[in-house]
Amino acid sequence: MATALPDIPAVASESPVKEPAPRREYPGALVVVEGIDGSGKSTQLYLLKRWLEIGGYRIHFTEWNSSPLVKSATRRGKQRRLLTPTTFSLLHAADFADRCERQILPLLRGGYLVLADRYIYTAFARDAARGCAAHWLRNLYSFAPIPDITFYFRAPLDVAVSRIVSGRPKLKYYEAGMDLGLSLDRAESFRIFQERILANYDQMIETDHFVLMDGTVRVNKLQKLMRQILGKKIDLDQFGPKKAGAKKK
Amino acid sequence: MKRSGKNGAQSEGSNGRPSRRGRKNGNGEAPSRFYGTTLPGVKLEELSGALFVIEGTDGSGRSTQIALLTEWLESQGFAVQTMGLRRSFLVGEDIDALLAENSVTRTTLSLMYSTDFFDQLERRILPALRSGLIVLADRYIFTLIARSAVRGIGRDYLHGIYEMALRPDLTFWLNVRPEIAFDREFKKSQTISYWESGRDMSLSNDLFQSFIRYQSLIKKEFEYLSKRHGFIEVDGEGSVSEVNRELRKRIASHLGIRSTHYQPSHALSHLWR
Repeated sequence: MATALPDIPAVASESPVKEPAPRREYPGALVVVEGIDGSGKSTQLYLLKRWLEIGGYRIHFTEWNSSPLVKSATRRGKQRRLLTPTTFSLLHAADFADRCERQILPLLRGGYLVLADRYIYTAFARDAARGCAAHWLRNLYSFAPIPDITFYFRAPLDVAVSRIVSGRPKLKYYEAGMDLGLSLDRAESFRIFQERILANYDQMIETDHFVLMDGTVRVNKLQKLMRQILGKKIDLDQFGPKKAGAKKK
Repeated sequence: MKRSGKNGAQSEGSNGRPSRRGRKNGNGEAPSRFYGTTLPGVKLEELSGALFVIEGTDGSGRSTQIALLTEWLESQGFAVQTMGLRRSFLVGEDIDALLAENSVTRTTLSLMYSTDFFDQLERRILPALRSGLIVLADRYIFTLIARSAVRGIGRDYLHGIYEMALRPDLTFWLNVRPEIAFDREFKKSQTISYWESGRDMSLSNDLFQSFIRYQSLIKKEFEYLSKRHGFIEVDGEGSVSEVNRELRKRIASHLGIRSTHYQPSHALSHLWR
């Protein structure tokens, strides 16, 4: 059942988001999904990706924290709980930079439609919730290309948290924000941490031109909407199987 | 030896001489211990130790001077902690591995070094300074900024990342000409490192040329940084004992040590030239 969120208009297609003319120094396009854990963003991006794959579009999918480059350091830091808010943030930035310089940017220059599950806004929301200064984070990630569309999936905190807590046997230390000393109870700590992150995301809706998606809407209905918005904002023909690079809009 | 930079980047008293008391009292000098935003959870008034930085290219004599200074300070009753690049537990080895592969891109490498730096700062250096130790840094953010800047990363971007770094009490720049650094490095290891000659930058196929060009670019960055941050420039081409005497004089004056007399122990006498 679709229920509108009380505080923010829920239907994205009707919200006239003012588009910043993105700095496009490349023929590709960048589409990202953002939102707290359990907001439904990964499911929706997966379905979008499948749709485009089946259609034969030139796409590339990338997700947060997937690079082998810093994996050993991240593991070491997390296992031994050595990470401070600053080093946590820097390590993820290094990882992101690797993906950005070796995948995202070359692919955008090569004319791909790049789909990213989480992007720099994840770092802005999460690391600021850990106490990093907002202006420091903005500077840290200033090398990242601005997305053409940022879908922000928003679900009420209770809905999102129950989706995660019921699906996972145990919340991890950093995932639950235990390093912040919010609560000794992991589930409670997770909830408070996610609440902070959600508030930080909400603050970026206007400044970063998020397209708001109601994470409580039925999956297939929401996917239909997502495909419509994508088609409206991006000239998909440009990435299509036959007309690749043939026409300019 | 001259001191460049006017705006009191280092903590000094009104008479231009270093004053530790002023800082301890927190009468307006305390905020200047960081360049910008303070690290989360750090109380400046707790930091009773002192941080001295030795900067300079490979072959400028940094590690020799740090070994000698450590002995001198310990003989004077000061406990010493050292830091340097790639020495963090968190990512030190990972950077070594990245450098060995040399397929890493510039921003990533730059940020890995930042992680390495802040891991040492937060988990080793700040605790040491809280305990009143003297920290001797074998290179600091300035080398990291210079190396990234010559590779085209913005200086403002880099200063932004390191705005949470602790401002050193004194920063010494052991300045040597690239040709001299080349001679010293070659004598020491019979080769020149890939990164110290900037071979990732495609400056020249000739190793010597590449080294000289790269080190000249780094030196230019250091000249800029020296003005901006008030380095104490030391002629690194002087003898070890001469350079050491200059460093001791400055440090002694900063710490209020009367005697700068020092004769290295037998263990270190081979360094004394």
